Amino acid sequence: MIHTLTGIDSTASALSAERVRMEVITQNIANANTTRGLNGKPYQRQVVVFEQALRDAQGAYNGPGGGPQKVEVARIDIDNRPSRLVFNPGHPEADADGMVAMPNVNIHEEMADLIAASRAFEANLAVVKNARSMALQTLSIGRR
Amino acid sequence: MIEAIFSQPAYAATKKLMDATALRHEAIASNIANIETPNYKRIDIAPSFQTELQNAMGSKDASKISSISPGLAEDQTAVAANRDGNTVQLESELMKLNQNTLAHTLETQLVTGTLLKLRMAITGRAQ
Amino acid sequence: MDPISAMRFAGAAGIGGLPPGGPPIEAPKIPANELQSLGNISTPQPNSVQGGRAFSDFLGQMVQDVNAKQAAASGAVEGVLTGQNVPLHQAMIAMEEASVSFQLMVEVRNKLLESYQELMRMQI
Repeated sequence: MIHTLTGIDSTASALSAERVRMEVITQNIANANTTRGLNGKPYQRQVVVFEQALRDAQGAYNGPGGGPQKVEVARIDIDNRPSRLVFNPGHPEADADGMVAMPNVNIHEEMADLIAASRAFEANLAVVKNARSMALQTLSIGRR
Repeated sequence: MIEAIFSQPAYAATKKLMDATALRHEAIASNIANIETPNYKRIDIAPSFQTELQNAMGSKDASKISSISPGLAEDQTAVAANRDGNTVQLESELMKLNQNTLAHTLETQLVTGTLLKLRMAITGRAQ
Repeated sequence: MDPISAMRFAGAAGIGGLPPGGPPIEAPKIPANELQSLGNISTPQPNSVQGGRAFSDFLGQMVQDVNAKQAAASGAVEGVLTGQNVPLHQAMIAMEEASVSFQLMVEVRNKLLESYQELMRMQI
């Protein structure tokens, strides 16, 4: 595989990892009011956990003290915070006290996460754009 | 003997700087990719490279300049802004990205200029 | 004695051409030691430069250097194409340097041919 763009492994991994995160966040937002999930219980918020991974093809530059890293989605965890209890006696899922267990999704938290994820996504897009312009200039070395 | 026409110290230093610029882009790409990773420490070109390059340039010897090589190291001066121990700050990283790209542009133009001048000296014509 | 100074000596001694004033009356007398030194004209050696390396060595070295540059350039390009993490700028610079070296060799060859042809055109 020809590597003409520098740092493309890190950037590509980050772009796909942030995409996964954005998908999980939109899924959380979509299910913010799902009182009965697949297992009969209210929907549990999901969280993406990132971890860094050493890139396999270190290349000629692997100097001392660590090399460039790429990021990977380690796992998608279930947020185990308890469900919110809301007083809503008319709801079909209401228990004896009239309380309904709503999913533990906090919309404001999700929106903040979504903004952070899209900011990171756009930053990585800027990195790719710069890498591409650097490569195009490299290809015109020596040409008038 | 042919190597003598390429043995100007400034030209050798520019080529070495291009190596460092490409390596720094790798470092910046890694930093920006990991801005949301917990406990990630920012990396950059090892600071010893700058002093090595200046010493080698002081000696005006092209082969000495070509023998040093840049490496990556964790940035010891970066501090963690968040609780998760990540030392990358997005704004400063993006600024370094732009500066690096501009430095790369400068270096390619210097290298191209030197090569075109050599060609003009050899053939006596501009092309 | 090299050919040029031998010819000058011969001209000064009056051999090898009619003197401008008229037909020769008698053959001029040449001392024996000068005749001796005339006999010592040696054939010029094709490659010798006074006090320097042979020119053929110089050319051979240049060809080898250019060859080495071309080999380095194709090695670097191969490294890029097979994904061995050779940085692209190193391959580009190697290619350009090989091309400049080759151009230098071609121009040296052209100048040599020109000077050879000019030498052959010289009237003796």
